[in-house]
Amino acid sequence: MRSRRAVRALSELCLTSGALVVLFVVYLLYWTGVRADSAMDGEIGRLRDQWARHGGSAAVAPPTVPDAPPGEPRPDAAPPAPAPVPAPADGTGVTAPAVPGATASPAPPASPAPRTGGTAAPAAPPRAGAAFAVMYVPRFGTDWAKPVLEGTGLDTLKRGLGHYEGSAPLGGTGNFAVAGHRRTHGDPFKDLPRLRPGDAVLLTDGTTWFTYRVDTRPYRTAPTDTRVLDPVPAAAGYAAPGRYLTLTTCDPEWGHSHRLVVWAHLETTAPAAP
Amino acid sequence: MYPWIWRHLPGNAWVKSLIALVLVLAVVYALFQYVFPWAEPLLPFNDVTVDNNGMQAVTP
Repeated sequence: MRSRRAVRALSELCLTSGALVVLFVVYLLYWTGVRADSAMDGEIGRLRDQWARHGGSAAVAPPTVPDAPPGEPRPDAAPPAPAPVPAPADGTGVTAPAVPGATASPAPPASPAPRTGGTAAPAAPPRAGAAFAVMYVPRFGTDWAKPVLEGTGLDTLKRGLGHYEGSAPLGGTGNFAVAGHRRTHGDPFKDLPRLRPGDAVLLTDGTTWFTYRVDTRPYRTAPTDTRVLDPVPAAAGYAAPGRYLTLTTCDPEWGHSHRLVVWAHLETTAPAAP
Repeated sequence: MYPWIWRHLPGNAWVKSLIALVLVLAVVYALFQYVFPWAEPLLPFNDVTVDNNGMQAVTP
């Protein structure tokens, strides 16, 4: 009789813990995604409302980005600029590689990139946890749009991508660094390993469109390797100061032993509401 | 445990089933709302930044 009760208790324990594990998997794979998707849609909707109120006609769809064939600069891709903005005297941000995507090593500085000065950096840094930009990556799908929030806290990353506090502002000289979940919470950076040199990463802050070009294949590194966030990340092959973008996520897909990093440089900027 | 709960639920079998269902839903709600969000950071899926603390340390 006693052994019978023990067996019964044991089987109940197994059933209960099994159900717990299944529920937890459902929570991770499904429920966090549902919550994150609605939170991210909400953030994007709030941003667009805000831009519509303050900025006249807001940018609601990315401009058509020509998938520039590697090695061929597309002068017509640049927006019609009223006048070329003079390059900063210190030469920062004017050496965009002329051949985006041909190689991961830095292309020799060719010509000053058109219009990468002036309109870029916002005046005040956004409030921690607040969304301030929307990112589009055509490689991830035409409907892929995620909000970028200030900070990389756990709660922030549940509502979108996180901009590393202390890294450069969007479009500014230095390194604009963004982290995102690869798995769970909407899987925003699930396809980060599929990014290839030459891919476009578009960002808008409501007034300006920033088009970044990916320069490197996904780079695997240690979690403590903060040098990937340097203003001039050497591992990307950049040599001169410029306006760079860094995307980080975890690697392997479900683990945390490494990080996956992709770098891009600012190619063009365009006014969001011409 | 489960037979003990079943025996202590009031009413006939139908009422018992209904109460049991409500109990199960309440437990699932508590798990999704409180327990799993607490347990999740203990798992590796949240580590998507390179040394978060180090980066914030250099922030003024």
